[in-house]
Amino acid sequence: MAATSVHKFAQCITCHAWSPDLSMIALCPNNSEVHIYKLSEDKWERVHVLQKHDQIVSGIDWSYRSNKIVTVSHDRNSYVWNQEATGWVPTLVILRLNRAALCVQWSPKENKFAVGSGAKTVCICYYEQENNWWVSKLIRKKHDSSVTSIAWHPNNILLATTSTDGKCRVFSTFIKGVDAKDSGNSADTRFGEQIVQLDLCFCWAFGVRWSPSGNTLAYVGHNSMIYFVDEVGPSAAAQSVAIRDLPLRDVLFLSERMVVGVGFDCNPMVFVADESGLWSFLRFLDERKAASSSAKYGSQFSEAFEKFYGQSKFSASNNVEQSRGAHDNCTNCILPLAKQRKSSVTRFSTSGLDGKVVTWDLQNQEDLLDYL
Amino acid sequence: MANSLRLYLTCIRNTLEAAMCLQNFPCQEVERHNKPEVELKTSPELLLNPVTICRSEAEKCLIETSINSLRISLKVKQSDELENILTKKFLRFLSMRAEAFQVLRRKPVQGYDISFLITNYHCEDMQKQKLIDFIVQFMEDIDKEISELKLSVNTRGRLVATEFLKQFI
Repeated sequence: MAATSVHKFAQCITCHAWSPDLSMIALCPNNSEVHIYKLSEDKWERVHVLQKHDQIVSGIDWSYRSNKIVTVSHDRNSYVWNQEATGWVPTLVILRLNRAALCVQWSPKENKFAVGSGAKTVCICYYEQENNWWVSKLIRKKHDSSVTSIAWHPNNILLATTSTDGKCRVFSTFIKGVDAKDSGNSADTRFGEQIVQLDLCFCWAFGVRWSPSGNTLAYVGHNSMIYFVDEVGPSAAAQSVAIRDLPLRDVLFLSERMVVGVGFDCNPMVFVADESGLWSFLRFLDERKAASSSAKYGSQFSEAFEKFYGQSKFSASNNVEQSRGAHDNCTNCILPLAKQRKSSVTRFSTSGLDGKVVTWDLQNQEDLLDYL
Repeated sequence: MANSLRLYLTCIRNTLEAAMCLQNFPCQEVERHNKPEVELKTSPELLLNPVTICRSEAEKCLIETSINSLRISLKVKQSDELENILTKKFLRFLSMRAEAFQVLRRKPVQGYDISFLITNYHCEDMQKQKLIDFIVQFMEDIDKEISELKLSVNTRGRLVATEFLKQFI
C-alpha cells in the first residue's frame, strides 16, 4: 500500500502545510481558524490555534527556511505568522484586494509571496525593511476571472497562474530592490509583464506547478485533462492528456518525469514521461476494491426512503461502509514531504474534503521508482 | 421496473456523478459573499452547459452546473388531470418542507415540477454517492407514490359514490 499514514483531523480540510522539519502540520478545518498539530509519540496533538481571520482560510504556506506561515482567507486579508517565545505572532498584510484571496505561495527565496484572488488579480508581496511592513504589488487586468492557483518558478522571478477563464499565464514578478539584477535571463522584464498565455483548456483551470528544474509546467482543467508545457516562452510545446475519470484539482511533480494528480476521483493518479518526453497516464496510486455503485443499488432503498421523509437527516453520512480508499471525498491539496527543495521526492501528503491527511511513500512501488 | 425507466435513471445517475464536482468558490461580484453561482448567474464563465435528459415530452430532467452549485429540475409524468392535481399538491407539500430535505429548492425552476439545489457545502458534509442515490431514489419513488395516491383517490371515490347512491335504492 502506498499510503503510509491516514489521520482524520477534522470534518473537512481546505488546505494544509508542513513545518520545515515535518514535525508539525498547519491546517484549516474548513473555518476561519488555522490549527497547528505536532506529532508526539505517534499521536497528533494540537499545539496552537491561529485565530485572526473572520472567514474561511483558503490558503496556507509554511516557508522552508525562515519558518514563517502565511495564510490567506476569503475575508480578503492575509497574515504572516512569526514564531516567537509566546507563540505565533501575526502581521497583517494589506493586500489591497476587494474580493476573496484564494491561494498563496512563498517564492523559492522566501523574500516574496504571491496571492491569487477572486478579484481577478495577483498580489506579489514583499517585505520592506525600513517601514517594517509587507507591501503588496498587484498584477491587474490580465485575468478575466478568479485566479485559482499559482506556482513560483525556481528562479524566483516567473510566476504561473491558472484562472477560471481556462487560461494559464506566466508573469514576471521582478521587483527592483528585492530581486538582484543577475538572477537569470528574465531579469530584463518589467514587473507584471505577461511572458506567455496558454489557451489550451476550454473549462476552468486549476492546480499549476513547475517541475523541479523549472523546464516543464503542468496544470489541470475541469474537463478531465492535464496539460504539460515544455520550454515556456514564445515557442512553448504543449501536450494534453485526457483522463477517463473525474477532473483533477491539484498536481505535484515528484521528479522531472513523474507527476501525481489528485482531485474529485479521491485516488491519486500517476502520470509519467517516457524517454522521448511523451506524457501518459500510468496508474492509480491507491488500490481499491471494485465496489460499483450499481451493485448496491437495491440495498439503498430503506436508507433513501428514510431520507426522503426527513426522519433521520444524517444517518446516511454516519455509516461509512462504502469508504474504499484512503480518501473518500474530493482531494484538493497535495504537498511534497521533503526537508528542503530537492529535485525528486518520494513522499508526499494529500488532504481533502473528508478531513483526512494522508501521507504516501513510493519507496516500495518498484514500477514507479524508475521515473524518479 | 420498466427497462426504459432504468435506462433513464442510469443516465441521470451518470450525469450527476460527472456534474457533482463542486468546490468552495467565493463570489466574484460582491465582496465577502459566497452564493450558489447557478442561482446568481452573474459570471457566465463560471457556468457549464446545462444538460436536459428526456424520457418523453412529459418526463424530463434538467441539470445545470456551476463551479460551486448544481441544480436538478424534474418534470414528473402527468397523464391525466387527476395525476396533474396530485403531483402539484404532493410536490407543493414537499417544497414547503424543503428544510427537512436540505437539498430541495423551495420553488421549482420555470417549466418543471420540482428542483433540487446542491451546493459545495452539501458535498462537504454528505457523501456524494448517497446524495446521488437520494435523487435517483426520489425519482423512482415519486412515480410510485403518485400512482398509489391515484389508486386510493379512485377507490375512495368509488366507495363514497356507492355509499351515496345507496340511499336511492
